Amino acid sequence: MPADDLVFPMGKYEARMPVDRQYTRSHFWLSPLATGYRVGFTAYAVRLLQDVYFLDWTIDAQTAVKEKEQIGEIESSKAVSAMYAPAEGLIREFNPALYNDPSLINADNYGSGWLYELETESPLLSAQEYYAHLEATWETTQRLLKSQYNE
Amino acid sequence: MSKPQKLTVVISQAPGKNPHKRQLEEDLATQLMLAGTAEVSLIPQVYDLPEDHHAWLWLKSIPGDMVVLGWQYPRALRWTLDRNGVRGREGLTLLRSEEDDESAELTETQATGIGSVNVPPRRIFVLDLKLHTQPQPYLEEIERIAREATVPLVSLGGFSLGPSTPNTVSLGNNSSPAPTLRPATSPLDFRLTAGSDAPPVAVEARRRWYPVIDYSRCTNCMECLDFCLFGVYGVDGMDRILVEEQDQCKKGCPACSRVCPANAIIFPEHKTPAIAGAPTEDAGDFKIDLSKLFGAPSALEIAAQERDVELVADGRTAVGMTVGIPKRQADKPSGQRDDLDDLMDGLDALDL
Repeated sequence: MPADDLVFPMGKYEARMPVDRQYTRSHFWLSPLATGYRVGFTAYAVRLLQDVYFLDWTIDAQTAVKEKEQIGEIESSKAVSAMYAPAEGLIREFNPALYNDPSLINADNYGSGWLYELETESPLLSAQEYYAHLEATWETTQRLLKSQYNE
Repeated sequence: MSKPQKLTVVISQAPGKNPHKRQLEEDLATQLMLAGTAEVSLIPQVYDLPEDHHAWLWLKSIPGDMVVLGWQYPRALRWTLDRNGVRGREGLTLLRSEEDDESAELTETQATGIGSVNVPPRRIFVLDLKLHTQPQPYLEEIERIAREATVPLVSLGGFSLGPSTPNTVSLGNNSSPAPTLRPATSPLDFRLTAGSDAPPVAVEARRRWYPVIDYSRCTNCMECLDFCLFGVYGVDGMDRILVEEQDQCKKGCPACSRVCPANAIIFPEHKTPAIAGAPTEDAGDFKIDLSKLFGAPSALEIAAQERDVELVADGRTAVGMTVGIPKRQADKPSGQRDDLDDLMDGLDALDL
C-alpha cells in the first residue's frame, strides 16, 4: 500500500484511503478522469457492508441525477441499503464487470470494483477532510450500528 | 350459575390469494372449531373493511375478551379496531417469533401518548400471523388466553351464537366465496348472518390506504395536521387529532408518518416495518440498514418529496420544504429516553 495513504482505525480494522482522489461524506471516492469521475465505495463503507451479494441499479446510464436521489440497491452479508447519488450530475455509465460479480467491490474497492462514472461540478472532500469526517462521526456511527445489530 | 361465555377468536384474513396464508387461517379455524375452546370467525382483513360493513357491527357486539389474529402488525390491527370503536385493554401475549430472544421479557408498553377514550375493561389480544407458519403456537397461546380469560356472563345486545357446539362464522371473504373449511359446506358457516339482521353478502372489500393513529404514542402535537395538504386529518369534539377523511389519503404516500415525532402514525401496508407498525425492538430482526450512511435523504426530505408527487398529481404546485415542516423543538422538555431516541440522535448527529 502506498505510504501516504491515510488509515482510519475501525476497531482493529484499518480503513485505508488513498490521497490521489476525492471523497464524499456518504463514503464514496471519486477519482478524476479526463472528464468527470470514477466513483466507488471507500474501504470504510466496504467494511460495514462486508460481502456484497447483490447490486442493482434502478436508473439507466446517461441519466441526470440530483444529490440523494435513489439510483439503486445493494445487499451484503450484513446489510442492505438503497444507493443514492452522492452529488448532482450525470451518471455516464455503470461498471459492467459488477453486473455478474459484485464481489469485485470486496476484492478491489479502489480499483476494478468501481461503481459508475459521474460528471459533477459539486464540491468534494479531500482525503484529509474525509478522514476528519470519519473521526467526527465514528462514535455515533458505532452507536447507530449497534442499535441495529442483533448479535 | 350459567355457563361462562366462550372466548371469541377473530381471524382477519389476508387479502389476495396467498395459499400459505389461506392454509394457516383455515387450519387455525378448523382446529379451534374442533377443540371447542373458542368461538371462531373469519372476516376479511379488518383494515380494508368499509365503515358500513356488517362485520363492524358484529365486532362491536362482542362483549368479552377477544383474540384477533391478523397479517398486519398487531399495533396496526389494534388501532384499526380502536378507530372503529372496537376497544379494550391491551391483552399481553406471550407469542414470540422463533428467532426472538427468550430473554426479551414481556413489558407493559410505556404509554406516553394521549391514549384512547371510553375503553371498556375487557381485553383484546392481537396476534401476528406473520410470526409462525404452523398453527400450533397460535393454538397454544389461544388455549392459554382462554384459561385465564374471565368473560362477563351478560351478552350485550342479546346477541348469541347459539348452542354450545363450536361454530365457525364467515362474514364474507374478499377473495374466495367462503373459506373451504372441513366440513366444507358447514351449515354453521353463515349462522351469524342467519341470526342477525345483517345480510349474508360477501362484500368485495377493496384494498384501502389510510393512516392509523396509535394513541398510546400520539401526543396530539398536530404536526400531521399541519403537514398533510390533502385534508386527511381533523380534530374531534375534544380537540383530539383524528383521521377525519381517510379516503382523501393518497395511496402509497406515507409522508405524514415520517413527519410524526412520536412515530404514532401507522400505514399498515407500507413496506417499511417502522411505518407499518412494527414494534421498535423488531428492527434488530433485519439486516442493518446503511442507507443513512450512504447518503439517504432525511425523513423530512422524503416526506416533502412524497407530498410533492401527490400535489403535482392533483394538478397543484409542489411546495417542497416550505409548508408544514415542523421546527423541531429544541426547547421542549424531553421525556424518558429510549432506544429509538438514541437511534434518532445518532442519525441526526451524523449530519449527512
